Amino acid sequence: MTDVGLGPDAILRAQGINKNFGAVVALENVSFAIPKGEIIGLVGDNGAGKSTLVKIISGVLAPDSGMIEFEGKPATFASPAEARAHGVETVYQDLALAPNLAVWANIYLGRELTRGPKIMHVLDKRAMVANADNMLRRFIRNVPPVEESVELLSGGQRQVVAIARAGAWGSKLILMDEPTAALGVAETKAVEEVIFELKRQGLTVLIISHNLDQIFRITSGVCVLRRGRPIGYRETAKTRPEEIVLMITGAPTIAGSG
Amino acid sequence: MAVSKGRWRKATAFAGHNGVLIAFVLLVAFMVGTTSTFGTYQNLINVLQQNSIIGIIACGMTFAIILGGFDLSVGSVTALASVVGATLMIDLGTIGIPIGILGALAACLIVGATNGWLIAWLGVNPFVATLGTMTVVRGLIYVATNASPRFGVPYTFTTVGLGRSFGVPNPALIFLIVALLLGFVLHRTRFGHYVYAVGGSPVASARMGLKVARVRFAVYVLASACAAVSGIILIGQTASATPQAALGYELTAIAAVIVGGAPLGGGRGRMAGTIVGVFLLGVVANGLNLFGVSPFWQPVATGLILIAAVAFDGFSKRGGFVSV
Repeated sequence: MTDVGLGPDAILRAQGINKNFGAVVALENVSFAIPKGEIIGLVGDNGAGKSTLVKIISGVLAPDSGMIEFEGKPATFASPAEARAHGVETVYQDLALAPNLAVWANIYLGRELTRGPKIMHVLDKRAMVANADNMLRRFIRNVPPVEESVELLSGGQRQVVAIARAGAWGSKLILMDEPTAALGVAETKAVEEVIFELKRQGLTVLIISHNLDQIFRITSGVCVLRRGRPIGYRETAKTRPEEIVLMITGAPTIAGSG
Repeated sequence: MAVSKGRWRKATAFAGHNGVLIAFVLLVAFMVGTTSTFGTYQNLINVLQQNSIIGIIACGMTFAIILGGFDLSVGSVTALASVVGATLMIDLGTIGIPIGILGALAACLIVGATNGWLIAWLGVNPFVATLGTMTVVRGLIYVATNASPRFGVPYTFTTVGLGRSFGVPNPALIFLIVALLLGFVLHRTRFGHYVYAVGGSPVASARMGLKVARVRFAVYVLASACAAVSGIILIGQTASATPQAALGYELTAIAAVIVGGAPLGGGRGRMAGTIVGVFLLGVVANGLNLFGVSPFWQPVATGLILIAAVAFDGFSKRGGFVSV
């Protein structure tokens, strides 16, 4: 995958990423690039290294070796906060939101607006409630009431809020680790609409999914990992699910590779 | 019909959210109606005087419970503050009073910092960590005092424990200040907001960049600081310190917070609820006393109220018995 050949307009490039957990090789010499403004799928069997790769990009894990470039500049993020500051945000399958807090509080979690003397950090709830509604409206058609507690929302609404939060904070690249794995059909569709909306507004999305139907519905390119190694990149329009399955499971020859 | 149905629904929702407050108001009304002594100035002063020390501890406990933990060491820490403070005041005389207060606070903050460090960074379960420090601190107090009381605190210091300002006992005023201050911190500031966030989902909080360990540490230091204030007031009530002081206060404080509507699971609860919880238990104790019931019945009543409050809350939220 070193020869992915995605052209100069990649938002993120990784080169020769290695990561071991003790004796276990999680990623071996992984190089790839994410084209700007696209929805790219990252697929592979369990243990292929997808989540590890996403964690390295988002600053949760440090690679043992290798280089990451974000917007043309070297960027190996030391923490999720640093990644976020550069515009790389992650949305997880679960535990993305604090269920006991209201929607507005989750949108602003870790970025609260305060007023009055600096040392007291008194929350400016009114401003946050008003802004949160606008921030969600940018990506979601049916915005849930922002003063509602998150635990009263459905699983799909929660994920929609989590994704819209990632988009609203000026992120450029949003990493999603199985964002719809726990959702039903209608809820998955709602989440996918928000993902499309992110793309429409110029954001880039890297999505891990086990659901190949979904990958073919929403992505414009697919990266395949197997046992920590990059197997290949395909433009979604020029491949078929059968080929991706072969790449995931490890067929002796792969049609159209090269 | 529709209007009355809507009203009924609103009324039941209000009762569901404010069950403890309604129970408290009914209890007070009952006490006023059935006894001539309950509503007297002297008796109300007694209720305030007797519940302020538990109340201050419960204010700190509210933070710990909303955080998803609790602090069993606060009773021992109250005794520690009282013994350390009294010893310094006795040995140094009147000029020792500020030193005694500072010494008591310092000793308690060390315990709070230990709790916080164990829980936040070492990942020790709050039950285990604070059970451990509770036992260790009580043991150290017995070792240092040989389990005998310390007498002879300068009499002027009893102003703190027994004096009144504007007709209100000073401990009650200190409780009021602590409750207002910590209520403001809990409900209006970013730190209080983070206590709710960490109590609701530590993982989601950490993912959004919150310093979860620091929030936890600060809460356990705060719980100890509240216990220290209570311990200092305790010196002022007797001009002495007993190593056996404040035994079981941690459980009464936890009971008051839970009766006040904060579940042990964390993420929920309000300072106002805690204050109602403290006085609900306090008025019941006072009522038993006024009706001439033996004080031995008081823990029985506290325990029954605790169970009833939690069981009723669960029953009304589920709308029935547990089905799974």
